[in-house]
Amino acid sequence: MQLDDADQSVQSDTAGRLVGHLPEDLASASMTLARRFSSHATLWCWSPRWPQHAEHVAVEFVHPVIVGKRALPAVAVSDADPITVLRTLVEAGDVLLVVATAMTTEVAAVLQRAPAWGIETIWLGSGPRPRFGLADHLLWFDDLGDEAAANGTFVLAYHVLWELTHVCFEHPGLLAQPMADEACADGTCLTCADEGRVAEVVELHGPFTLVRSGGETEEVDTTLVEPIAPGDLILVHAGVALSRLDAERV
Amino acid sequence: MTEGTDFLYPFIEGGEQDAAGLLADLATSAAAKGAISAHLQAVTLADRDAVMTTLAQAMAQRFSAGGRLFVFGNGGSATDAAGIVALFRTPPWGRALRARSLVADHAVLTALGNDVGFELVFSRQLIAYAQEGDMALGLSTSGNSTNLLSAFAEARRRGLLTLGLAGSDGGQMAASSDVEHCLVVPSSSVHRIQETQTAMAFELWSRVQSLV
Repeated sequence: MQLDDADQSVQSDTAGRLVGHLPEDLASASMTLARRFSSHATLWCWSPRWPQHAEHVAVEFVHPVIVGKRALPAVAVSDADPITVLRTLVEAGDVLLVVATAMTTEVAAVLQRAPAWGIETIWLGSGPRPRFGLADHLLWFDDLGDEAAANGTFVLAYHVLWELTHVCFEHPGLLAQPMADEACADGTCLTCADEGRVAEVVELHGPFTLVRSGGETEEVDTTLVEPIAPGDLILVHAGVALSRLDAERV
Repeated sequence: MTEGTDFLYPFIEGGEQDAAGLLADLATSAAAKGAISAHLQAVTLADRDAVMTTLAQAMAQRFSAGGRLFVFGNGGSATDAAGIVALFRTPPWGRALRARSLVADHAVLTALGNDVGFELVFSRQLIAYAQEGDMALGLSTSGNSTNLLSAFAEARRRGLLTLGLAGSDGGQMAASSDVEHCLVVPSSSVHRIQETQTAMAFELWSRVQSLV
C-alpha cells in the first residue's frame, strides 16, 4: 500500500490540504489512470492558463522521481489550438487531464469532444465548480481561487494522483477488471440506452457524413442537421444525426 | 490454492477482487499525504519566517531599482520555476515584476546542452543576460544539481542576489558560499519538497508585493 515515501511516518495534527471529497475523487481518478495505462493509454495534459502544470504532470509520469517506478506515456499539450492537436493525436481509451478553473471558457469546447474521441477526462481546478458531467473526474478545490495554481496546491494534487496510480499497479488483478462505466448489465450505459451519442464530423460525403464517435469512425445520415462542417459536434442516434451540439458555456 | 488454472490468475483470489477496499485505502492515503504536506509547509514557513522577511526586502529593493529575477531548475523544478516566473510577471493581484525563466527557450537550452554541456545551460544564459542588480533563483530538491551550482557561481561573480530553494539536507547548495540565501525544505520526499518550495515562493512573492 505504501510508496517508499519516507515521510509517511510524520505525525501531523495540521488540517490537511486534501479534504472533503478530494481523497475519494483522487482515489477514483488514480484507479482509472492505472487501468487505462494498463491498456496502453496515453495521458494527455493540458492547461490553457498554466502550461507549466501540464508539463509537470507529464514529466512526473514519464520520468518518475522514485527509482524503480514505471515510466508511463504522458504528454503535455502547449499548442495555441489544443483541439486540432488533440483531435489528431488522441486514441480511443486515452485520458485527458485538464488543469483550469471553471471560468476558463475554452475548456468546455475541448471536454465536449471527449465522448466523440472515446477518451476519459480528469479536470483539476479550484473555485466555483463546473457544470456536472463535463468531465468524468473532477479534482476540485472549492474553497480556493486562482492561488491554488500558484501556492503548491495543484502540485500536491497531481503528485498524489501519480503516487496513488503507482499504488494501483501493485494490484494488477484489479486493473484487469472491467471499469464500472463499461458494465451495461442494467442496460443504462450510454451505448445501450435509447440516447444520442456525441459525434464529431470528420468528412462530408453528400447526405452521408463520416463522423467519429467513441473513438470509432462511422457514416451517419446528417440531412436533419445540415449545414455542417468538419469539426462540428452532433448527436447521433441509430445512424441518424438528430441535432447539433453548439459550443457550450460551463 | 484453487483447482485448475486459477493459479495463473491470482486476481481471482479474494483480495484482488476488492476494488472498493483498494479505493478506500487510496483515499485514506491521499488524505494522509495532504496532511503531511500541510504540516511540512506550516513548519517550514514558520522556521524560515525571518529569512523570508529579509529576502523579500532585498528583492523588493532590487526590483524597484530595475533588477530582474531569473529562475531555473530541472524537470519538475523547471516547471515550478516557470510557475514562479508567471506569478511574478502576470500576478493575480499587485504589480507585474520583471521575471524570466531560464528553461523557457528550447533552442537556447538544446544549443547550450549540445555544444557546451548540460551543466552549463543556466550559467551560460546568465553570462548573456544578467547584470549587477539582478537576482537568481534556483530550485533543486536535492540541492546538488551541477547546472544550478555553476549558475549560482556565475551569478555571484556578476553581483546578483542568489537564492536557492533546496530539500533534504540542502546538499551542496546549502554549503555553497555562492548561494547567499538557501531555503531548505526538511523532507526526503521529492514530492513533498516541491509542494512546500512552491508554497515558499508564493509567500515570498506575496511579501515582495507588499513592499514594491
